[in-house]
Amino acid sequence: MSNATVNAAPGVGMAKDKASGHAVLGWVLHNVVWIWLIALVAIFGAFNDYFLTVFNLQNVMVQATVLGMLGLAVALPLLVAEIDLSIPANAGFSAAVGALAYSDLGLPWFIAMLAGLAVGTFIGFFNGFCITRLKMVSLIETLSMMIILQGALLALTQGKTLTNLADGYVWIGQATIGGWPIMPVVFLLALAVMGVVLQRTVLGRSIYAVGGNPVASNSAGIRVDRIKVITYTISGFLAALAGFLLASWQMAITSNQGSSYLLYAIAAPIIGGVSVFGGRGNVRGVLGGVLLLTVIQVGLAIINVPSFYVGMIGGVMIFIAVAIDAIRVRYFG
Amino acid sequence: MTVHDTRGMDMAADTILRIEDVTKTYGAVRALRGVSLEIRRGTIHGLLGENGAGKSTLVGIISGQNTPTSGRILMDGRPLEQVDVKAMEEAGVFLVTQEPMIIDNMTAAENLMLGIWPNRGGFVDWKKLRADAARMLAGSGIDGSVTAGRLDAVSRRKLNILRAMFSGGRVIILDEPTAALTVADRRALFDFMRRLKAQGVTFIFISHYNDEILEICDAVSVLRDGSLAGGSEDVAALSSEQLTELVLGRGLELFQRHRRDHSDKAPAVRLRKVAGKNLSVEALDIAPGEVLGFTGLPGAGAKELARAIFGLHPASGLIWLDGHETALPGNPRAAFDAGIAYLSDDRRKDGAVGQMSIGDNIALSSLNARSRMGFIDHKAEAGVVARYFGAMGVKAPGPEYAVDTLSGGNQQKVCLGRVLATNPRLLIVDEPTRGIDVGVKQDVLRIIDELSDTGVSVIIVSTDTDELVRATDRVCVFDHGSIKETLSGDEISVERLRASVQA
Repeated sequence: MSNATVNAAPGVGMAKDKASGHAVLGWVLHNVVWIWLIALVAIFGAFNDYFLTVFNLQNVMVQATVLGMLGLAVALPLLVAEIDLSIPANAGFSAAVGALAYSDLGLPWFIAMLAGLAVGTFIGFFNGFCITRLKMVSLIETLSMMIILQGALLALTQGKTLTNLADGYVWIGQATIGGWPIMPVVFLLALAVMGVVLQRTVLGRSIYAVGGNPVASNSAGIRVDRIKVITYTISGFLAALAGFLLASWQMAITSNQGSSYLLYAIAAPIIGGVSVFGGRGNVRGVLGGVLLLTVIQVGLAIINVPSFYVGMIGGVMIFIAVAIDAIRVRYFG
Repeated sequence: MTVHDTRGMDMAADTILRIEDVTKTYGAVRALRGVSLEIRRGTIHGLLGENGAGKSTLVGIISGQNTPTSGRILMDGRPLEQVDVKAMEEAGVFLVTQEPMIIDNMTAAENLMLGIWPNRGGFVDWKKLRADAARMLAGSGIDGSVTAGRLDAVSRRKLNILRAMFSGGRVIILDEPTAALTVADRRALFDFMRRLKAQGVTFIFISHYNDEILEICDAVSVLRDGSLAGGSEDVAALSSEQLTELVLGRGLELFQRHRRDHSDKAPAVRLRKVAGKNLSVEALDIAPGEVLGFTGLPGAGAKELARAIFGLHPASGLIWLDGHETALPGNPRAAFDAGIAYLSDDRRKDGAVGQMSIGDNIALSSLNARSRMGFIDHKAEAGVVARYFGAMGVKAPGPEYAVDTLSGGNQQKVCLGRVLATNPRLLIVDEPTRGIDVGVKQDVLRIIDELSDTGVSVIIVSTDTDELVRATDRVCVFDHGSIKETLSGDEISVERLRASVQA
């Protein structure tokens, strides 16, 4: 999205210094995720009346929650010019730890859930530690962590699906207020908090600086390694929270829980304008990317596209979004 | 392009490249306004101008990276129909940039023929490659079988020039080729250029330094505000002052510090027993308000000591600052907290965060002092940003613009503002004016001078002897990691410094 502004100051409008036609095109391309989103909503709505109902809106919001939490978790390492592939696997594994601590160790469900969150947070911290102190390459370090966690989940569950979850544990995924599910509130809260952290705190400013130029940031007195470790730790916490929400919503933890989210969780922030080279992107963009991917998935299911074509058509739609964004970066910076 | 076009014979037969009335506009900005130039065959043609004068735009057009809005380019008297990198390279015009484009883990010979390796049915013909490379490298002092990463700076530049020639280059544009070269290296590069010139190669030479232009160029053109401000076909008849006046369009008053003697003052900074890699300094005292120069050949210890004081060069030792004696800071954060600030010589890599705004960059090193519970105090931040944005005289519409959009000199001002915002008691600036134009250079030296009046001790690390003479009270000359000689007062002269450094 409008990644031209990484600071809290209002964006420098293209219109100020460019001819008006150019400016309009620039504006369109800067907001392409949102325009593409509205266009798809209109198209799906035209194909099937059900798509534009309140019930489906609620469905989209619920579906977007888990992907959104994972997308936020992925966005953080991207902002410091690193990557974390283990996030969806972390979500599945830490949720299983939380569930088993309740069902097998007999801990109260809330304590067990917190234990799951702690494990996920620690995994994030550990990734950050390996990448900064041991100078491991984040792509490979987190890839191997992903494989370890997927394997560990399989070992923990012995290939079975965990369904022995406490009522309190699954409450957040099932509860509604006046017919509206409350799970999306967690995502919106997380978005708001991360938005404030990134825009208003020293930590957030440091994250953008480290991602933009780590060498200069070090000379400017920013403790680059420490910022990266903190970023990975927060990311691990968000991953664990996503895992808890997913388990609570599905009321089950499968032996490969979370894994199917990997590529979408990486695609969402990037579609939303988070640069893979670090230092650019914001939570508004992540939200746009998440909603776009969710609308594509839900929409294709609703208009009865034969399931054999869903993957392909969804892929083409993502491709178009990314291609338009690449054109924007090339011609409008 | 090898056949000589008879239609071109009506012009001066020795003009190889002719630029006619070239204009370039970006939106509403007119970067070039009707520039016309003639480059004679087999000469070295200097191109001078302040940052933002249109030099880079013109070079971009000549090398085919930018398309002119209007005007035309003639090669050997024949107008080029299309201007892009490929067309210009086919016509024989090559750009050799500041950053040598060399693949470090290939040999010099492979680099020389990068992308045009001789091959037989897709397989690289190593024998031919080595033989061709050896022929091209003969006399350059470069061994073709050496891994390029192990070549020194001047060899890398030579290699790039040779590569351009090997690809059919007849007009070679050198964009600040002497940046970061020692005096001896610079001499070697100039000798090399003269040798190639004798073989008929034409150079367009871009530099910020008048003395280089006067030494190596046959002709010179000066750009100012996107137009040709003047030039000469006979550089030998020009003086340095005349060149400066052409560049700036007015007689420039060069900065000269009123040199002070601090020997009777109690020192504000004491360094003791500093030892590290290539570094061993027993003792050094700096007075409050003193501007101390560090100089020497690369690797002699000047830069190393400066970085060690700031925690960027691993070293042990003691620093006594404001009555407290502590170990040297282990990292830049600790150094800032102790009241030490450092401005790196490598703006691009180690200076500003390009994609962040000017304001964010200015505030970057002092955020902790302007925050509460981790939340940035936006009012305090805006205050410090406004103060240093103004005090540094950064040329930009406002502090919300990205640093990327600024010229090198203005980026340097932003970085200087950033370190000054930490309120240091010891300021270390490393090559503070390298690669920035002469007007901004005076501004930077003046800011440092005014800062020293407030009692801040300043260390200027520089290889620019003229700058040391103009800006410092005392100069330490480094050799083999230690201070070889300390000059003060009238001892500080260009001749004396050069002799001491080279000895």
